[in-house]
Amino acid sequence: MNDMTPETASQNPKRSRLAKWSRRGFIGAGVLAGGGLLIGIGVRPGNPIGDLAPKVAGGDGEELINSWVKIDADNIVTAIVPHCEMGQGAHSVLGQMLADELDADWSKVRVMQAPADGSYVVSDTARMFIAPFTLNAADWIEPTYDGLFKQMAHAADALITGGSSSIRSTGQYSMRIAGAAARKMLKGAAAESWEVDPVEIETRDSMLIHKASGKSAPYSEFASAAAEQDMDQTPTLKKASEFRLMGKSKPRTDIPAKINGTAEFGIDAAPEGLNLTYAAVIRPPVPGTTALSMDASKAKTMRGVLKILNMENFIAVVAESYWHAQQAVNTIEVEWSEPESPIKTMQDQFDAFAAKLDEAGDTGGLEAAGKGDVPSVLDDAAKTFDAEYKVPYLAHAPMEPLNCTASVGDGQCEIWTSTQVPLMARSEVASALDLSTDDVIIHHPFLGGAFGRRLAAEYVSMAARLAKETGYPVKMIWSREEDTQKAFYRNADTCRMRGGVDGVGKLVAFDSLFTQRHDPAQACVPAMYDIANTSIRVAEADLHLPFQAWRSVDHSHQGWFIESFIDEAAHAAGADPVEFRLGMLGKSPRHAAALKKVAEISNWGDKGGKGNAKGVAIVESFGTIVAEVIEVDMRSGKPKLTNCWAVCDAGFVMNPDGFRNQIEGGIIFGLTAAMYGGLDLKDGAIVQSNFHDYKMLRMNEVPDIKVALINSGDVPVGGAGEPGLPPAAPALTNAIFAATGKRLRELPIAKQFA
Amino acid sequence: MHYKTILAASLTTLALAACGSSGDYEVKEKIDVAEPGQASDGGSSSGGGDILAAGEAAFAVCSGCHSADNGSPSQAGPNLYGVFGRKAGSLDDFSYSEAMTGSGITWDEASLDAYLADPAGNVEGTQMVAGAIPDADTRKAVIAYLKSLSE
Amino acid sequence: MATFNLNGEETSADVDPAMPILWVVRETLGLNGTKFGCGIAQCGACTVHLDGKPVRSCSTPISEAEGRDVMTIEGIAGPEGELTKVQQAWISEQVPQCGYCQSGQIMSATALLRDNPSPSDEDIDSAMSGNICRCGTYTRIRRAIKVASGQAEPRNEEA
Repeated sequence: MNDMTPETASQNPKRSRLAKWSRRGFIGAGVLAGGGLLIGIGVRPGNPIGDLAPKVAGGDGEELINSWVKIDADNIVTAIVPHCEMGQGAHSVLGQMLADELDADWSKVRVMQAPADGSYVVSDTARMFIAPFTLNAADWIEPTYDGLFKQMAHAADALITGGSSSIRSTGQYSMRIAGAAARKMLKGAAAESWEVDPVEIETRDSMLIHKASGKSAPYSEFASAAAEQDMDQTPTLKKASEFRLMGKSKPRTDIPAKINGTAEFGIDAAPEGLNLTYAAVIRPPVPGTTALSMDASKAKTMRGVLKILNMENFIAVVAESYWHAQQAVNTIEVEWSEPESPIKTMQDQFDAFAAKLDEAGDTGGLEAAGKGDVPSVLDDAAKTFDAEYKVPYLAHAPMEPLNCTASVGDGQCEIWTSTQVPLMARSEVASALDLSTDDVIIHHPFLGGAFGRRLAAEYVSMAARLAKETGYPVKMIWSREEDTQKAFYRNADTCRMRGGVDGVGKLVAFDSLFTQRHDPAQACVPAMYDIANTSIRVAEADLHLPFQAWRSVDHSHQGWFIESFIDEAAHAAGADPVEFRLGMLGKSPRHAAALKKVAEISNWGDKGGKGNAKGVAIVESFGTIVAEVIEVDMRSGKPKLTNCWAVCDAGFVMNPDGFRNQIEGGIIFGLTAAMYGGLDLKDGAIVQSNFHDYKMLRMNEVPDIKVALINSGDVPVGGAGEPGLPPAAPALTNAIFAATGKRLRELPIAKQFA
Repeated sequence: MHYKTILAASLTTLALAACGSSGDYEVKEKIDVAEPGQASDGGSSSGGGDILAAGEAAFAVCSGCHSADNGSPSQAGPNLYGVFGRKAGSLDDFSYSEAMTGSGITWDEASLDAYLADPAGNVEGTQMVAGAIPDADTRKAVIAYLKSLSE
Repeated sequence: MATFNLNGEETSADVDPAMPILWVVRETLGLNGTKFGCGIAQCGACTVHLDGKPVRSCSTPISEAEGRDVMTIEGIAGPEGELTKVQQAWISEQVPQCGYCQSGQIMSATALLRDNPSPSDEDIDSAMSGNICRCGTYTRIRRAIKVASGQAEPRNEEA
């Protein structure tokens, strides 16, 4: 593979810049009809949807086999991937899945990002949000889901990259099927031409071979003819024993461009022929407020300044360089409207949570899940215990600050930006500028990190409005301070838990009450543990800061609440934390196996010396079970993270090295939040502003990490991007407890060792 | 039952994700300063005769970390209003390195000149990892500007 | 007019002398490999070499580069684009995820290995702690530096 940068159709320089994309033409061909959506759609010359061809096919001699596969005259197979590449490696792995089923030569496989066109709605991702882990390939055309999902996909503009879903939804339900179907069509076309039985034709390395007659040909020779073949909606997929690429650590296709400065991120947009101007902005410090007036007397006199605007929901300086725009905008005094939220400090926020929790008491609130009779079992328990945990708001802080380049002209708007939701961005721009979505063109290259932040697209319409108002093409960049203080956030929350153990030290009752429940809805349920009586309750409370999904979403805090409390339960029962958990995993053999293995590779039995101890946690999220042991050295009085061992069972791992990289990253993301993550409020506005006070773990602070994988198979494939995160914080605080006897019930950790 | 709950929660998240649209906002004020290519190239005058103006212009890069406004809080670096004559490491609202608080420096022309030429070499262990000013004339101008910032 | 040597070529730019090197190379000269992350020298995404030493280009004015050598990520490979040992190790160890911080990481690692061909873990910590990676690729960066300096074997691709 030597494809460097995702070749998006929309970056084709031959296409006129504001050329209209006819979405109707595409849909008119029935792409969305029949429930199959994108799978099984033939794109043939002369077909009305041939309109799509110039956008996806680069030139003459290229044929589209179906909407996910392209084979060109040089026998290059292109996977058309409907997900953004934000570091998760999805482009590459999806290509691997397609190429394996297609029997393509891996060195001749390219990955291309699908255009941000409504027809490329990521149906399967939406479905994963609706009913995760319940689908398998056979369910794929189940009509009820399809209808529901289609409706939702439209409502939500769901060209979404998130939910650790790329591989387990698009890969499993689209890429592999597309690859297998395309291979069958190629065989069919060759069989007709060679006048042989298609079952006698073998495929290997992008070649069709008929041994008996000695005939062979590259796929490209029959690409056009194959496009005329009927497409099999349910082609036979390979068994794991037949995989040649899946399960192998193929090098990622996007990496070569990321080590020489050529990878293009949203912030690098430099459209040919456009004389860019640059905007720096100030957004309201308190959510929900607007700019009443501004004093720009100094900014007006500053170097490079072109325009100064009060856009109501933000202030902007447009200048000849971003740096000059930022210098000027820094001098503007703004009068903001009065905030409606009564919350001024984090104490106010936690008081508001406490009021709701008090109101719900021991039995109130909305029951999210439950069984048995918690109140009476707690009354009779040999020993009961309770704990209250608090987590702060967290910023996503991707390395690439939010930015968007916009150009408006001829009744159209063209956008270059890093986004997880290009179609939602398109709708927002259309609505802000009063255009039809057909007249908004979104280019979305690599994302310099996202972690959920780029699931919101408010910054895209900001740039579009600036381009419209100034008449200039504008590249808007948020300073790191804006990015930290004026965004969307992982929610804060307080969780109260109660438990009871019986005479033999078994956890027989578990009660959990908290105020925030977003996604996934089952994150708050410790379903793997066999506990006879449980009640999981929500007492909803308002958040002062706007919420946005943050890597692993509810699991990021629920994983910590649950696994901290289970550790407290083990302590109350006088049991070893691993043995105690194993005692409750009798009905969850995969979880038990992962836990046993992590105990083994971390040498759990060796408790270490004084002040040096290990903690354990296990969480299943996004279809993957991850058990982690973290070793911490407390001898200096502050936590030093020395080692981390993780064992993951995702069912089947498509690219082990890529998977491990994601798990390592998830662990460090989780440890960073646990150690340092936390936003404070003053007068309702966020205090932290940049990496000096919103700290990240650095090279000298991260533990050595070892990741082992279990392919337990025979289950849907689990995600990689998020599951490494949830066990990290509880494993760490459990280790600190083991080392010091100090139970941490509030994050971040560093604050408590300052 | 299980299925319904999950769907409801998913829709909430997606709906939340759709918030933040700016369709309803209007432009409250617009100041036209210049057209592209015509913008002022003033505001920077490091070659000019006014040493304070040169110092203020050169301070622009420093302002990423340091405020020089009276009463503004410290940022990634301490507020520098009134730094002249101040004991190193003495602002309450900034968390200095031990190296800085223990340096014994009281800032004047000579100590600022030595520090700004090579912060890490001058005070080993300082948090100031960037912003050295190797050019002696620029340093002199920035120091003159800092000296002017006091009541 | 700022005049300096950029990646081996004499270069001049008619810009505000106070403008940071970062924005001159990105916006004026069109080299986008050097990245903006924080603007206050905290994250290292903007790291370039000034006379061979790693500096944070977001906080270094172009006037500081006058008459000196500026090297960006675009300039480190050989004349025919041959990858350096550091770049090769970044591929063999499959380091990047989102990749946004990696130009800065590679510039810091390149400077480290030039001065210290066989760095210890402590040397690596000390040289690399100014570079934040939000994706959390630190353990791979460490291994890649060991591979580039011949202290570890490259990863087996199929493992």
